[in-house]
Amino acid sequence: MSDNAESPTETQKEELQSPSESSATSEEKKKIDVLLKAVGDTPIMKTKKWAVDRGRTVQSLAQFISRFLKLDANEQLFIYVHQSFAPSPDQEVGVLFDCFGSDGKLVLHYCKSQAWG
Amino acid sequence: MTVQPEQADVLTRSLPLEMNCRALDEERFCRCCRLILRRSDQLRDGWSWEALQGSEGYLKKTTLRPLPAGWGPEQDGGESPGAEPAALQPDPLVSTGSEEEDADLRLPSNSSSPVLQWEYHVLYSCSYATPVLYFRAFTLDGRSLTLEEIWKSIHPNFGLRLQNCPLNAVSQQEHPLLGQPFFFLHPCRTEEFMGPVLQAALDHGRPVNYVLSWLSVVGPMVGLEVPLEYSTELHAAGCLSSTDPD
Repeated sequence: MSDNAESPTETQKEELQSPSESSATSEEKKKIDVLLKAVGDTPIMKTKKWAVDRGRTVQSLAQFISRFLKLDANEQLFIYVHQSFAPSPDQEVGVLFDCFGSDGKLVLHYCKSQAWG
Repeated sequence: MTVQPEQADVLTRSLPLEMNCRALDEERFCRCCRLILRRSDQLRDGWSWEALQGSEGYLKKTTLRPLPAGWGPEQDGGESPGAEPAALQPDPLVSTGSEEEDADLRLPSNSSSPVLQWEYHVLYSCSYATPVLYFRAFTLDGRSLTLEEIWKSIHPNFGLRLQNCPLNAVSQQEHPLLGQPFFFLHPCRTEEFMGPVLQAALDHGRPVNYVLSWLSVVGPMVGLEVPLEYSTELHAAGCLSSTDPD
């Protein structure tokens, strides 16, 4: 998926992977379902539900959201669980899902800030 | 990773909802810190309380941490690995291996990597009515790091934007209580990134430990890890309430 990717038209859930990869393998499920919610004045993503590799880091996800929302270079994106706790950028989303997931998904809130800009 | 139900809401049990209001007075700061300390003791995370007069004081933690990969005070290589934002790497969405993009963020696995001693203090800023993080680092032979070396150690997720901040987001500052040179994260913008989060939590009726939330954001910038176990009790408490509206 490139920076020019547009919102999917056929499905609610989009895969954070290149189209040629198959997500249906005989191995145990390696993706987790993530629901992204905007906080404050942060733009809302048209696609909110994503299937994300367990090993993807919070930083990687933040970069993806930043590019998707076309944020300025000096805008910092923060990601929270429960609207209150920011996981470390190096944290894997699979671990977050294990700790904070409910109803089969991980809800993450994201918030942009020009706190350092 | 275990969550013990009896400690489920140790960090928020005694926090009324007004704890979410954006202004942080010193009394609330101390209460938040006490709750963090209690959890730190359970997790053996190493925080201690340095008491001042009355009930005032600050949180303190000392930790040993290896240098980031490829970094070293003696090295004057062309690259500054700690300062390169990961965004310059190939698009992570098409790479199947997340190990590559995370390579610079992983601590070196060889045991002969030089190690630094880091010291973190969480003080209350009366001027800004926010917590403020002071920190310093030493090599094991006692040399303190320079500002440039500190900048190289800032997490790349934040490094570029922090550097572009015209307000000297990270600078050297005399510790207000110890009178020694420390580095600190300027608190003037704390309210800007804390405000929306506090409001969102308030809107959903979730109590928030201001200091813990703030620390979870700023800590990783300067290598201070705040384990997930500090917040897993929030999940347990949250499960008891209704699910978030879509």
